[in-house]
Amino acid sequence: MKREGNPAESGYQLLERKGISRRDFLKMCTITCTALGLDLGLAPQIAEAAAANLSKKPLIWMQGQGCTGCSESLLASLDPSPDQIILDLLSVRYHPTLMAASGEQAVQSMEECIAKGKYILVLEGSIPTADPRYCMVEGKSFIDQFKKAAAKAEAVIAVGSCACFGGIPRAGFTGAVGAQDVLSGVKIVNLPSCPVKPDRLVSVILYYLSENALPLLDELKRPVAYYRYTLHDSCDRRLHFEKDEFLEDWNDAETTDYCLYHKGCKGQDTYTTCAASWWNDGVSYCGHAGSPCAGCSEPEYYDGFAPLFVNPKEEK
Amino acid sequence: MAKRIVVDPVTRIEGHLRIEVEIDKGVVTKAWAQGTMYRGIEDILRGRDPRDAVYITERVCGVCVASHGWTSAMAVEDAHGAIVPRAAQLVRNLLTGALWLHDHPLHFYHLSALDYLDVLAIDHYKGNDKELLAVKNKITSLVKAGDTAPLTPRYQPDGYSIRDPEIVTTALAHYLEALKVQAKAKKMSAILGGKQPHQSSIVVGGVTIYPKKEQLDNFKTILNEVVAFVETAYVPDVVNICTGPLGQLGRAGVGAGPGSYLAYGGFPMDDLGKDKLFKGGFVSSKSPGVVQELDISKITEAVASSWYSDAEPANPWEENSEIDLDKKGAYTFVKSPRYHGEVSEVGPLARMMVMQHPPLLNIMSKYGIKPGSVARHLARAQETLLITEAMYRWLEELEQLLSSKTIRPAIHDHEHWDSPKQGQGVGLNEAPRGALGHWINIDNHVISNYQLVVPTTWNVSPRDDYGLAGPIEQALIGVAADPDNPVNVVRVIRSFDPCMACAVHLIDADGVRMFKI
Repeated sequence: MKREGNPAESGYQLLERKGISRRDFLKMCTITCTALGLDLGLAPQIAEAAAANLSKKPLIWMQGQGCTGCSESLLASLDPSPDQIILDLLSVRYHPTLMAASGEQAVQSMEECIAKGKYILVLEGSIPTADPRYCMVEGKSFIDQFKKAAAKAEAVIAVGSCACFGGIPRAGFTGAVGAQDVLSGVKIVNLPSCPVKPDRLVSVILYYLSENALPLLDELKRPVAYYRYTLHDSCDRRLHFEKDEFLEDWNDAETTDYCLYHKGCKGQDTYTTCAASWWNDGVSYCGHAGSPCAGCSEPEYYDGFAPLFVNPKEEK
Repeated sequence: MAKRIVVDPVTRIEGHLRIEVEIDKGVVTKAWAQGTMYRGIEDILRGRDPRDAVYITERVCGVCVASHGWTSAMAVEDAHGAIVPRAAQLVRNLLTGALWLHDHPLHFYHLSALDYLDVLAIDHYKGNDKELLAVKNKITSLVKAGDTAPLTPRYQPDGYSIRDPEIVTTALAHYLEALKVQAKAKKMSAILGGKQPHQSSIVVGGVTIYPKKEQLDNFKTILNEVVAFVETAYVPDVVNICTGPLGQLGRAGVGAGPGSYLAYGGFPMDDLGKDKLFKGGFVSSKSPGVVQELDISKITEAVASSWYSDAEPANPWEENSEIDLDKKGAYTFVKSPRYHGEVSEVGPLARMMVMQHPPLLNIMSKYGIKPGSVARHLARAQETLLITEAMYRWLEELEQLLSSKTIRPAIHDHEHWDSPKQGQGVGLNEAPRGALGHWINIDNHVISNYQLVVPTTWNVSPRDDYGLAGPIEQALIGVAADPDNPVNVVRVIRSFDPCMACAVHLIDADGVRMFKI
């Protein structure tokens, strides 16, 4: 990356002024490549493109029927760190949990951003369709506000299962659905799981900043890279499954690493990279902590997978 | 002439909160707190396998993660007759203790501090500290680029705002540092819980993880880093700011609640869970300083101002509430929990008052600080120190249990895993935001009734059958406020650290307050 007149140079200088070293940024892009299943050789290219394009992208983050777990999950990212994400990479114009402004000022900040366009919209939480009164902001129905913000967005990222498919609220009577169910003619990417896995979100944003396009998506609008294989495919308990060795009692030392199928694991039906790419800085994931996969990234979740802790064979 | 103003959305809290106040001659005279989002978690739970409640209620809130999952497990265990082995208790203590270590600093720096700091005063920092200069450069480069979101827009700084460049710059440096620290604390929870938010290792009867030595070593390494931040940055910042620049607000007792305090107690310190790190009890405003023994039969929930069909105040086990969106006179779906009929505050200040915690009482008396918003921040910092100290004790105890060459300690009550035909249980616990209770009835092996009475339901509760306003509504009365710049209003609200997704029974019809004064 030492070419003369490198168009990314000014971008890098900009980064450095903001306290991100070129090395850090390249590392971030390498992580993006790995996470998206891209050729690692592409990392410098992505880094260049992203750095050259790097005027901070305006972001509107809206919360419907959710728990703020996806916002907290974004803040659980350690590489890049949360301050790099919210101050250096993005221009966060509206985020109910993070922004200084309240009330009218907050809404105004969002409206100004919508008027100018060229922003990314993130949805966290589901959208109630049975009665708009189940989610109101500023005395107005959330569904209308969300549609209005989505109409002018360059892309909509639905984070977490509630925003993608309705998630747990869909099991109730509020008519909870995901972003794709109320939008048409808008670029959408779904990042289901409960909560959103932060490296996926950061990578999709970085990819978008560099390529001005969304990564390759499957028919459920999920990046193929994260949802191509089942959890079962890369589970480290898989060999025990093949040998019919199942954990029945969590106290039993012999069977600690056995397959969790009899405890209700949905890993065979759940498309996710959790077992291959662990959570929270790569420290663990549900199965590693001995708990069965609940299928949290699937459209059927939660209702379609309940009850969660029962051997599926016994249940049927 | 009174002026009515609306703050909606109240940001930098969890979830959807709308506050309406009447301001007369510069002072708040009436206040209404309204939640504006509803999911119907309790309804979703009816008819389910009781063990699913732990997983579902974990997702009531993504901020006080682990608190609901744990408390739900306690309720179901009570109904199952399950006994949680000590090793599992310790894993729960450590996993959830780490949550408190990320949650309390995050509340101070990221949710509250921007109401008190004049961020732009950083431009006047003249010191030579390298790290502070880096922070100054970072913020001024944002200003030069004309893009200071999300730090602006904001309410205008007022007479109470902190403008001292040294304090502001230090606090902002810690704001940035705390963003990293809270992510590290989440990593601690994930070591024991699989991931965080929404750990998955707490299940009915115990935990699913049998921690390995290297996992506990890793946990301890990060704990040391997080504790260092708590002890050298968070607690000193809170104490210095609250007793210094905010002393005036503190001495005036701005944001004082009802004066009655409730805590259930939490974090078992022994096998049977009789002794707890945080004690349970009740302090009545009628006899301040006298701690009464907790009697949960005195807990009732009223629905007089809530969007639920009319009913007498009832104990959570007996409640059978149905949504009524069109109920006349109601203005929120938050119910009104009361203790022996009294409006009660829960949370850090309540916990420390129930414990009569000497370090907090000493600071308050030394600086003349009365119960109110500033005291809440101080209480939160003081109890964080109780947690940090206990974390090391729990870790040591767990390491000892697991290092035994002869006995492998149990982590789960396998015998009571399956649900009984009939059962009734309650789980009482402390979450970062206050006293948390889950009540369950089991009929024919499935959940027949499930009620959560959560901290924010206590604090954001509306007027009850006797017209008594809830704690936040009361705390706002008498607060000096500028209708065009109501920064003092949000300061008071945020001192309670509301968590609206937890207070699940909320809605505001049409955005119009239906309640007639």
